[in-house]
Amino acid sequence: MKYTTKKWTTEENALSTKTVLAIALILCAFSVHAHSELGVAGGLMSGFLHPIYGFDHLLAMVAVGLWGAQLGKPAIWVLPITFPLVMAVGGLIGMAVIDIPFVEFGISLSALALGAAVAFCWRPHIAFAAVVVAIFAIYHGHAHGTELPSAVNPLAYGVGFVISTGLMHLVGIVLGLMTRWPKGQKLLRGLGAVIAASGLFFLASTVGLLV
Amino acid sequence: MNHVYTKTALLLGLALLPQLAYAHLVETRFGEFYSGLLHPLTTLIHVVAWLALGFLAGFQTLKEARKILVLFPLAVVLGAIFANFFDARVGSAQANLDYVNLASIVILGTGVIWAKNLPSYVVLGIAVFFGLTHGMANANANLSANGQILYLAGIMVAAYLLVCLASAGVVLLTQKHDWGKTAVRALGSWILAVGIIFSGFSLLTLSV
Repeated sequence: MKYTTKKWTTEENALSTKTVLAIALILCAFSVHAHSELGVAGGLMSGFLHPIYGFDHLLAMVAVGLWGAQLGKPAIWVLPITFPLVMAVGGLIGMAVIDIPFVEFGISLSALALGAAVAFCWRPHIAFAAVVVAIFAIYHGHAHGTELPSAVNPLAYGVGFVISTGLMHLVGIVLGLMTRWPKGQKLLRGLGAVIAASGLFFLASTVGLLV
Repeated sequence: MNHVYTKTALLLGLALLPQLAYAHLVETRFGEFYSGLLHPLTTLIHVVAWLALGFLAGFQTLKEARKILVLFPLAVVLGAIFANFFDARVGSAQANLDYVNLASIVILGTGVIWAKNLPSYVVLGIAVFFGLTHGMANANANLSANGQILYLAGIMVAAYLLVCLASAGVVLLTQKHDWGKTAVRALGSWILAVGIIFSGFSLLTLSV
């Protein structure tokens, strides 16, 4: 018996590569999540992402951390502790479907006010700073609470948005450590100005000045 | 073309080969142990509260913290045994147990924010009481005698490990870094916030 070596044409080679690639792709397929916001995992994920996807939330919470770091002790821990606690109360008000007027306005205003506080290096009494942060936290919490998806585990949703909020404060605090250097202080105030400008933009959008 | 078919058949064969993965070893001898170990660790109401107890233990004296490490896992196991014997997880009793366990998140979270050395009888009382209630919530009556022992051992190890690691973390953090205490207190505020949200939510759904 004689064996002959067949020479593969370029077309046949291409076909083989395509087939192998297609099968490999099939094997790589991930599971489909048609109802992604379900149960504990869905609750954690949607709760965690809710403040991050809302850019106004994100900026305001980073600003809380920045302001705390700028004010120093005890504000550096009082503000980031006050915010999640009062936000939880706001979240409950939202879950209870109790309306608070001008929620979106309040959230946008929080980015503007807290950004401006950092930009102008505003140093009020610690109690007053905590009250300012607490008032804004009610609005943020209310927004998270009203948007609790019905299918998710509420505890997981709460854990998700509290952790997310806390981490954003932490980002602010870490960025705020720049105040140790003279140039860092200017940079921090610049960051505050950017947040305030973004807040102004959100505010203008909320009141309908920007379409 | 034969070459292509061989490759295709080989790939399809390989794709069909994988067997089921047994992550929880339920069919092995120690299956119920892992089941007991994972039950509290995969339930947020227990994980959050037990972590909080660990953080609180980290703020106590070494002597008190060691007592908590012994008493809490024992109380958890006793609670589970009690629930099995007296069928304490039926109807309204289960709901009441959930409220008490939710309250534990609020109380322990407040304790972590407070970050103070509490009197011995207070901190040990808290650890034993909530150990019993969380143990009752973790009970599983539908197991054979052998399975029950392994399951209870699993819960006890979970309780010990979580509280031990959390308290050790707090001790290390507070001793090595100036900001350690602040960071743990901030974590306490997260725990309390979660407790407020979920307790309030439970009360709201109860009143509807």
